[in-house]
Amino acid sequence: MSMIETENLTRKFGELTAVDNVSLRVGKGEVFGFLGPNGAGKTTTVRMLCCLISKTSGKARVGDFDVDREEDRLKIRKMVGYLAGDVGLYENLSAYKNLDFYGKLYEVPPGKREENTKRLLQLLGIWERKDDAVAGFSKGMKQKLAIARALIHEPQVLFLDEPTANLDPLAAKTVRDFILELKKEKRTIFLNTHNLDEAERVCDRIAVLKTKLIRVGSPEDLERSISSRKTVVHLESIVDSVLAAVKKLGTVKNVSTSENKLILDMDDPEKDNPRLVRAIVAAGGNIQYVTEERSTLEDVYLKLVRET
Amino acid sequence: MRFWKSWIVTAKDLSVFRNNKYILYSLIAMPLLMGLLIPVMLIYTLQTQAALLTQAQLIEAATLYVNMFSSFFVIAVVGLPTIIATYSFIGEKLEKSLEPLLATPTTDSELLFGKSLGAFIPCIGATYIGELIFVIVIDGWSIINLGTLLLPTMYWALVTGIIIPLAGVLSVEANIIISSRVNDIRAAQQVGGIIIFPLIILMFLPSVIQIIPMVTLALILSVGLAVTDIGLFYLSKAIFQREEILTKWK
Repeated sequence: MSMIETENLTRKFGELTAVDNVSLRVGKGEVFGFLGPNGAGKTTTVRMLCCLISKTSGKARVGDFDVDREEDRLKIRKMVGYLAGDVGLYENLSAYKNLDFYGKLYEVPPGKREENTKRLLQLLGIWERKDDAVAGFSKGMKQKLAIARALIHEPQVLFLDEPTANLDPLAAKTVRDFILELKKEKRTIFLNTHNLDEAERVCDRIAVLKTKLIRVGSPEDLERSISSRKTVVHLESIVDSVLAAVKKLGTVKNVSTSENKLILDMDDPEKDNPRLVRAIVAAGGNIQYVTEERSTLEDVYLKLVRET
Repeated sequence: MRFWKSWIVTAKDLSVFRNNKYILYSLIAMPLLMGLLIPVMLIYTLQTQAALLTQAQLIEAATLYVNMFSSFFVIAVVGLPTIIATYSFIGEKLEKSLEPLLATPTTDSELLFGKSLGAFIPCIGATYIGELIFVIVIDGWSIINLGTLLLPTMYWALVTGIIIPLAGVLSVEANIIISSRVNDIRAAQQVGGIIIFPLIILMFLPSVIQIIPMVTLALILSVGLAVTDIGLFYLSKAIFQREEILTKWK
């Protein structure tokens, strides 16, 4: 079942096309990463899906509701949680009052509001500071509080716009771990990020956007999509007989060497590697270990973005 | 429109103002200054004339002055929103809290009404407290010295009951419109000050123009204010829309 669905979603600002014919589906309980450079249209897409701005053309649905229908917009806003790029907290109100205010706006009953506020603040480690004005909080604490705010009404769909931007590694890890906890709760999460490592760690699927949708797939699929995988054989030393034996194998498309490593390009490494190892050993090569070299998500992302 | 939703926004804004010393001090200082200084000036003026006038003439002069001076409270209700309304809207812009607020299941009208009410309540509240002090001091003095209560008068009642709230609404709406185009609180307050200046001049017309009775002029002014309020309401409603705020508010 799709929780988010767009079809040729487009948004123009005057002559500028910010989002161009984006079609995607995000399943229930999926963590969907949205990668793209600055100005790629990530935030505009999220704003359209949260019914904050209108679309120019195309279709978009969140849950069972259509972003186009006036009567559905309030229902969409009620079922989604949104963490904007800027935390946007009320600095001279306490953490508790910030959450309580949003809980009321999201129509969370008083008892549940209190329970959720306590649970979220405890989970994120800021319960002890609940009565302190937010102005005195560190960036990381503010970000955590903003995440708690997005979750106060237990939304089915969560839009996170660069949740770990500008956070120190420890705070970023806490936020990432929290996203993984939410994933366990089967919430649908739409994650806008620049952070490739983060996307790879937490997302089930990733879309690369540069105004148009360039590619969608799991991190593994994307990594495979760019170049063939390479087999790397670490040898005690490379001798001519080994090189000759390897080249004789019809399955090796390309061989290169680097120090004591043989780097081989093959169509089907799982099938061909045992033959390769036997051939090297028979040619007198002393194998230390065999590894696989894959292109990273960063390689894929940079290639896709540069090519577009 | 769900008024309870608007009230949540209003209550939050009131809470924010309570925690903001600059706003809080402005709200406390204004009624104290106006409620005490204006009567002191008035009483001083009357006492300097007391020896020259009969009791009846003194009461007539005192009534005229009381009516004139009660117009000063319009300055308060028009001036305070330049502090509070601009802070309310530009403060949200500066804290970047408008976007999460707009993402909640509330309509544009509910948010606009809630925020406007949040700015209006402290302004009108502080003005009425100032008026209350003014009435107590003036009537206290007049009952002792003139043997009669100077307030209420018809003109004062019109100013207090109709003109002050209408002028407050006008100022809040004008400041919302200014806030949508300005990013700096001080700049917005300066622009707001310029815009409300003509209104302040208008308020003193009834005391200056002697041909038309003060009460009649006050009624004309009330109608003019009501019409302007309605016009500004539609203008501020057109400006306060999610799309506009996120894409055009600078």
